[in-house]
Amino acid sequence: MSDTPYLGQTTDVVLGQEFLTWLWFRSETRNGQFTTKDGDTYFMYVEQRVSVQGGEGETLETATVSGNLSELREARLGLSMGKKVNRALIRIERDPEAWHVTLKAEDFALGSLKTPKVEKADSEDDDPDAAFLEKMYLIEKCLAYLDNAYGEFLSARLSSTWTEEVKELRQWLENAG
Amino acid sequence: MGFMNASASFTRFQITEPVPSELWAQIPDKLKQFAFQEIEETAEERGWGWVCYDDMLDSFWRTAPPEKGEFITFSLRLDTRRVSAAVMKKYLTLAIREEEKRIKEQGKKYIARERKKELKEQVQLKLRARTLPVPAEFNAVWNIQTGIVYFASTQSKVLDLFAEHFSTTFGLDLEPLTPYALAVRLKGEDIMHALDNLEPSRFA
Repeated sequence: MSDTPYLGQTTDVVLGQEFLTWLWFRSETRNGQFTTKDGDTYFMYVEQRVSVQGGEGETLETATVSGNLSELREARLGLSMGKKVNRALIRIERDPEAWHVTLKAEDFALGSLKTPKVEKADSEDDDPDAAFLEKMYLIEKCLAYLDNAYGEFLSARLSSTWTEEVKELRQWLENAG
Repeated sequence: MGFMNASASFTRFQITEPVPSELWAQIPDKLKQFAFQEIEETAEERGWGWVCYDDMLDSFWRTAPPEKGEFITFSLRLDTRRVSAAVMKKYLTLAIREEEKRIKEQGKKYIARERKKELKEQVQLKLRARTLPVPAEFNAVWNIQTGIVYFASTQSKVLDLFAEHFSTTFGLDLEPLTPYALAVRLKGEDIMHALDNLEPSRFA
């Protein structure tokens, strides 16, 4: 929101950056597969465009790497030097549908969310709000998938197994580097 | 900026307190009460208010009502007059030269600082009155079942304006769903203590 810091701001940055970093690791090491509490399976990938950030104040450094089907090597290098993901393009798939969205770590601002295509109304008899309602349904579905992954991250982050998870993440970075 | 575009950028808010049940019926009237009012015939720098979701030129909801399924929809319209800096500079220079000529005749040499400020304000007002306001529209969608409000902007100034105008209109406060607020929403207030004491992890 405004430029003045507010309660929880630092926690916002820590949570947001660690979630996106974890999401990248998690999406690569487990085939991108996630399951909701209701047993709905979907796939989620960090791809094509990632920004990593490290340091603070005057030493704050950001590197943005993008490329189709690239391994985003420079961004991984940044991670292995202590940076964290501060913005990522996320792809969500649930056959046959796909969503794209850019998530910003510090405030979870949602950028350029693309939903599966919404069909335009065929005739004037159709509910004039049908296209809107379908679009909102698809947007909320995407957010539910994102929230589900975030919930999974939080459970891991706040449990005693987090140190194990961090070890695995380091291993992933070393293998990819 | 809208949700029906091929790609939408937006911010998620949650309403921080229970919505009084009598409010639902009053929403259309409250939107009209705090609707956008045209500033074209004035010299106002900014004007803002609610307009119909389906037509930003409609501040009376003649096109469509705000209710769509389980959502309340409306848009924030924000009109801004932007006088170009170069135009401002030109007319200020002209005004100062004229003033210099005028005070020379009175035997004075310098324009007082206060007078300069006054001239600047006059020029600004004159130019603003001649500049057309540039309209902008930002969609808002309020899910009445979840108490979540989606607002189609990520610019902090517009977000602040939206949250303030929302609160003035409905008497309800909005909280952006940042990582911290979303964590509490998903996992409950019990985790607040753990979150407040969170130490950053070292991945490298």
